[in-house]
Amino acid sequence: MKNIYVLAEHRKGALRDTTWEAIAAGRKLASDFGADLTCVLLAKNAGPMAELLVAEVPRVMVIDDPVFETMNSEAINLTLIEVLRPSGSYVLLMGASNSVLDFAPGLSVALDAALATDCFSLEVKDGKLLASRQMYSYKINSIVSFKNSDRVVLTLRAGSFGFSPSGAAKGSIENVQCLIDPASLRKRFVKYVEAEKGDVDISSADIIVSIGRGIGDEPDLDIFQSLADTMGGVLACSRPIVDKKLLPKYHQVGTSGTEVKPKVYLALGISGAFQHLGGIKGSPLLVAVNKDPRAPIFQVASYGIVGDLNEVVPVLEAKIKELKG
Amino acid sequence: MNIIVCMKWTPDTSEADLTVAGGAKDIKKDDLDYDMNDWDRFAIEEAVQIKEKVEGGKVTVLSLAPEESEEMLRECLARGADEAFQIWSDEMDGGDGYATATVLSQFIKSRPHDLILTGTLAEDDGAGQLGGMLAAMLNIPSATLVSKIEIQDKKASFIRELEGGLYESMEMDLPCLVAVATGLNEPRFVSIRAVRKVASIDIPAVGIEEIGIEADKVGESGARLVIENVALPPEGVGAEIIKGKPIEAAARLAEILKEKGAIG
Ligand SMILES: Cc1cc2nc3c(=O)[nH]c(=O)nc-3n(C[C@H](O)[C@H](O)[C@H](O)COP(=O)(O)OP(=O)(O)OC[C@H]3O[C@@H](n4cnc5c(N)ncnc54)[C@H](O)[C@@H]3O)c2cc1C
Ligand SMILES: Nc1ncnc2c1ncn2[C@@H]1O[C@H](COP(=O)(O)O)[C@@H](O)[C@H]1O
Repeated sequence: MKNIYVLAEHRKGALRDTTWEAIAAGRKLASDFGADLTCVLLAKNAGPMAELLVAEVPRVMVIDDPVFETMNSEAINLTLIEVLRPSGSYVLLMGASNSVLDFAPGLSVALDAALATDCFSLEVKDGKLLASRQMYSYKINSIVSFKNSDRVVLTLRAGSFGFSPSGAAKGSIENVQCLIDPASLRKRFVKYVEAEKGDVDISSADIIVSIGRGIGDEPDLDIFQSLADTMGGVLACSRPIVDKKLLPKYHQVGTSGTEVKPKVYLALGISGAFQHLGGIKGSPLLVAVNKDPRAPIFQVASYGIVGDLNEVVPVLEAKIKELKG
Repeated sequence: MNIIVCMKWTPDTSEADLTVAGGAKDIKKDDLDYDMNDWDRFAIEEAVQIKEKVEGGKVTVLSLAPEESEEMLRECLARGADEAFQIWSDEMDGGDGYATATVLSQFIKSRPHDLILTGTLAEDDGAGQLGGMLAAMLNIPSATLVSKIEIQDKKASFIRELEGGLYESMEMDLPCLVAVATGLNEPRFVSIRAVRKVASIDIPAVGIEEIGIEADKVGESGARLVIENVALPPEGVGAEIIKGKPIEAAARLAEILKEKGAIG
């Protein structure tokens, strides 16, 4: 690999953390391969973001155009095809965000590159690139390599590549003209929409009782609400509970729901998928009840009970009542 | 309005006890239950709902999977699809998302398609790649994580999910591909009667010859990813498991919560 590229991700005029994490991974690969590191920034009013980037990477390529106000997948792909085409062999790194999920697969096809999504670790062994990712409900780790390894696109799991800005690099900024005709786009951004706010705010709760798919298809939610009340907390949930319309969206914890930072988080019948855990900030006392001893939640929980939540919950509530006196 | 839905036949691993097999290249699958990928249940429902709204709509379901997937395809017919194709040849074994997209795009190219629906992600490979790859091969625009769609005037207006409760409202020209998010509709209940009603519909099985694709482009030889190793995550990290019967453990947990000052 001669070149390592990082595509900067931004939203509402600011760089996202995914960008710095991809730069961290990019530095590692650049040093492992002895390759050059370039950050590509496609943005509107790119100047301030470019200044931040150039203090961390040797070369920043910038296209400043209104079409890049948002991460429109079609505009990005048409542009990156032009930008990367002359590059021979390369690895392109980006965060595994919801914006990137929208264009990385199509981009890999257009670039005739191999793709691995949501990688949590990268390694170069005897000149060969290896990426670690998860499969099968996030319960299995797998290591993949790339058959057509001249061009590889990787998306990186948030939080997996730590970054500490040094501000030490004195890179160069290279400005490039917009390479596409915005009028020809078949996909167009209209506006941002915010999720509705509800009558409970789980984001500020100290004690959270959270329910997942493990509560079954026809659950009696009162049991869980009652436990939450007894503990002086609020009821929250994983995504499938919202998908099944059992609770409104504002109860959902996770990357696409609400971020919470409680002192206590009791997870009932939640497997512990990365997107769920991504919504739990701080380091709460995390307690999990799950009948599968291999559920990923037990890797991050402080305490666990392996068993049926239907047996655990009533006893737990009765005992808490008793202890509260 | 020709709508094509791609459905994945996946092993249910969320509660199963998984073991590594095949020289640490895969998991043992023969004792796992297979079903439609969760996300795809919302895709087929959306297809049928769109068909019910627009005149002359037709829903075609495709799955690249071995014969057993027929029961899933029949369930899709019971859910309201008009036709279904089961795509498989032995050569397709060991393929990745890229190889699958190559086959599906070749099949779809020769058929009318205004809208293609997929799930955003499958829980077996957790890749979230097929939709975007397929759209690129067909040279049509696409969007993932779509939580609302409206079709009007040869355009799809939609809302897609970003992080932290933010969404983006967008539009794209037809034909296009939409990879749906879970929760965008309420998948209907399928009665046994509904399944019986479609029992006689033929579900053609098509292979590389019918599709007209070379064997080296499919399956393992058409794949771009090589799985070097699979493993269960290291054991022994993480939670302190409270021992005992659930009832005893629950009582002990209440005490722990009290000790930690965690009972409000
Ligand atoms: C882009 C994207 C964004 C996402 N955003 C979010 C998000 O914001 N929030 C979120 O939660 N998810 C999100 N997800 C989905 C996430 O990947 C998981 O699918 C989801 O979190 C799983 O929810 P769950 O743990 O409730 O269900 P499952 O994974 O199905 O787990 C259910 C668990 O219950 C256990 N169980 C079953 N019965 C019992 C019983 N009787 N007693 C005890 N335990 C039992 C099972 O062993 C299993 O571990 C997102 C996914 C994607 C791709
Ligand atoms: N073999 C397949 N046959 C039909 N559709 C598929 C297949 N594999 C993936 N898909 C579709 O692509 C989506 C994303 O899958 P994946 O890229 O594997 O995460 C799924 O939700 C399906 O809609």
